[in-house]
This record gives sequence, structure tokens and C-alpha cells, in this order.
Amino acid sequence: MLDSLTLLRAMNGIHEEYVVMAGNLYFDSRQAKRFKTKRIITLALAAALILSLGIAAYAAFFSMAQRVPEKSETFRINWAENESGYIEWSDAKLVVTFPETAESREIEFRPGWLPYELPAELGGSDPWNHLSSDSWFKRLTSETLCFLDGPHAVPSYKGMMQPLLIETYYMSMFNNGGALLLLYYTPDEITEEHWDDLGVDVMRFHATQHFDARPEYNMPEYTLEQDMILMAKPDAGWVVRICGEVGMDTLLKVAKNLEVRETGRTMTSDDFENHYTFMDGGVG
Amino acid sequence: MEDKQIVDLYWQRSDLAISETNRKYGRYCHTIAYHICGADEDAEECVNDTWLRAWNLMPDQRPTALSAFLGRITRNLAIDRIKAKNRLKRGGGEAVLALDELEACIPGGKNPELALEEKELAATIGRFVSALPQPAKAIFVLRYWYLAPIDTIAERLQFSRGKVKSSLFRTRGKLRDYLQEEGIC
Repeated sequence: MLDSLTLLRAMNGIHEEYVVMAGNLYFDSRQAKRFKTKRIITLALAAALILSLGIAAYAAFFSMAQRVPEKSETFRINWAENESGYIEWSDAKLVVTFPETAESREIEFRPGWLPYELPAELGGSDPWNHLSSDSWFKRLTSETLCFLDGPHAVPSYKGMMQPLLIETYYMSMFNNGGALLLLYYTPDEITEEHWDDLGVDVMRFHATQHFDARPEYNMPEYTLEQDMILMAKPDAGWVVRICGEVGMDTLLKVAKNLEVRETGRTMTSDDFENHYTFMDGGVG
Repeated sequence: MEDKQIVDLYWQRSDLAISETNRKYGRYCHTIAYHICGADEDAEECVNDTWLRAWNLMPDQRPTALSAFLGRITRNLAIDRIKAKNRLKRGGGEAVLALDELEACIPGGKNPELALEEKELAATIGRFVSALPQPAKAIFVLRYWYLAPIDTIAERLQFSRGKVKSSLFRTRGKLRDYLQEEGIC
């Protein structure tokens, strides 16, 4: 008959790597601090990827731990479409990692508040007019549009940014050894918080990316700026990113008024056709 | 000294093996033993016995993670020690509290015929812990492998005490369900 002493002894079945990991957290104050800064840890450079002009992300775990990669550090990421089977990314400005999660709970969200002053900046187009109180989303953008007089307005990629973008990610999508988010913008000071009311770990910061002038294309130098909020729920394996150019105060108001619900579906790595996705500075 | 070099010393039967192990892992093993036994002198004896046991095991064994290898020996020795001294209910360090907590993981409907070998149970727990998300995994391992006090876990991971306790509560519930699903009573 099972008893608690037998159970205590049977904890010997816990795999060595987790014993070592926990021991390091316990006995090495530097690692504990890093863990606190929002945990995990696996920088396995194996699996899936998320990348793009601005940010790339990768692989399988959460709550967020962050570090500035070494200048010489290269991230080698599986990429089936490449001849070599992988691609290498260097010059990342920030690495964010998550706990490994075999399963994620699918979510959708409903904004409780949005900056309605935005439409005035969007050439008369109202990006919110399709919203109703019944609207639930997995991704929502407010895009600067162009060709408004034509049959199909399209997002303007001038500056490669959006005023506001909200989207969802799942740790299990990159379930192959660790989740890694690479940011190619340079972040300012990073604020890490736990929001009890939403039950999420939050990492937020302002970031910039400078581009030198390119006279051959008649392009002056310019700097892109954005604010970013990453909200993660490690137990459920999901991440919501809220980012854009509308300013941190506005993004915070959007984030704190976001209603998130689970759809009841469980997402595993097999549910994703591609094990990479794009996550840049806010381009749709 | 690197772990590999220490292991090599054991394989070479060098006297330095134990002093180097003590230098690097003395505090680590003492902490584990102290959490379980709750007494310095018992912990010290467990640590000394750990070095002896390690000396006898290497060779033939060549552990891949020396800390976990030594920690496991210490842990087993300490649990055996408090069990032998029948101190589980009379101040056996954190073990008393941990055992009380683990009672909650034992599924109801006990059936002695279904009792598993400890080895199988250990494998089941290994699978369960592997599937846990962080930080629940780290908290669980610190509490039930290292027998670390809840306050210390909270301090080291810079969580609130309540967060650690609620994480453990949820994980114990999941473990109970998992053991039940696996037919372990």
C-alpha cells in the first residue's frame, strides 16, 4: 500500500537534470535571481522558431527569463526550408525564454478597452468598427492603411510598424527543448511584474531599432520605436503579446482590460503545421 | 575542480577524491541531510557516509551529474536514518512536514494488491515531474526532493510564500490524479 514515506523515497525518480536545475536555483543565488526575473531556462537551440525583421522567437517553455546575448552569440534554429536544415541568427538584442510546456490551452481574448482615438490617425478608416461585445480574437491589429480609395485597402508597411497589435502564442508550438524569443530591437529598462488580477507574468519595455542612412536608395537614417508587453501564463502555456507605437501607458490600459478565456482546446506541438512563426516589431 | 576530474580521482582511487568532493559538495549534501534529519550531527554523519558510499560506487559508476548523484545518496541515507531512529513524528526536520503534505497525493480506494514496486513508482513520478511546467517543477523538486523549507524556497526564488504554497497545493492535486490514472494506490 502506498504511503507518504514511500512516495518521498520515490522522488528519487525525478530526472537528474531537474534535480540539478533546482539545486542550482537553491544554491546559486545568481541563478535564483535569474529565475525570479521570470524563470526559465532552457536555451536549447533545437526546435522551432519564430523570427522576423524585428523579433524572432523559438521553442518550448515559460515564464519569462531574459538576458542580453553576447555579441558573438549565434542562435541556431531548425528551419526545414533551408538547405542546411537550419539558419543562424546573430545580433539579437534580447533573449527571452520560457518553460517547456508539452501542452498549451488555446485562448482567445476580448479587448475591454481600446484607444478609440486611433481612427483619426488612420486616414478615416475605423479599425475598430467591426468590433462588438461578442467579438473574441486570437489576433487583433490596428493597421495604418493605404490605397483607401481602391477596392482593397492594405496595410501600410511604412516604418514596418503598427500602432497596436495583440496576438497569442503557445509555448507548446515550440516544444522541442525550450522557448526562445529573440528581439532585434534594443530594449530599454525591462520591467518584470506579476499581475495578480490576470494571473500572468509580465515583461514590458520600450525598444528601439536604428537604421543608418542609405544614400543609394535616398533613405535618411531613421529609428523605429515601440513598446512591448509580454503576458505569460506558464501553467496554461500561453503568451499574449501587446505591442505597438501608441505608448506604454496606452498599451498597459489595453493589456489590463484584456479579457482572456480558454476555448477548451489543448494545443500540442502536433497541432502546429509549422514550428515557427513571425513575431516582429508589430508588422501585420 | 570540474566534476569530471573529481570522478576521475575516484576511478584512480586517489585520496584526494573525497577531500575535493567535500570541498565542492559538502555544503550541498549537508543542506539536504539537514533538511531531512533536522539535526546537524545527523546531517554530518550522513555526509560522511555519502563520501564512503560514493567511494564504493565509483568505480564502477561514472555519474553524469555528480551533484545529483551525491545528493541522491545523501537523501536516501538521511531518510533511512530518520526512519531507523523512528523520528518521523518526533522532529525529523522538514521530512515530517513533507510527509504530511504528501499524504494528500495518495489516491483513495487503497488496494494493497495494486501496490507498485518503488522503482516503478519512482519512474511514474519521474514522468509526472518531467511534464510539469515551470516554475511549478522547480518548486516541487525543491520541496520534495531537497526537502527545502517553504520559506526558503520562497526566498531563493523570490516568490511570495503564498505563491509557493499554492503551487505545491496544485501540483500535489495533479500528482494525486496522475497516480490514480496510472492505477497506483
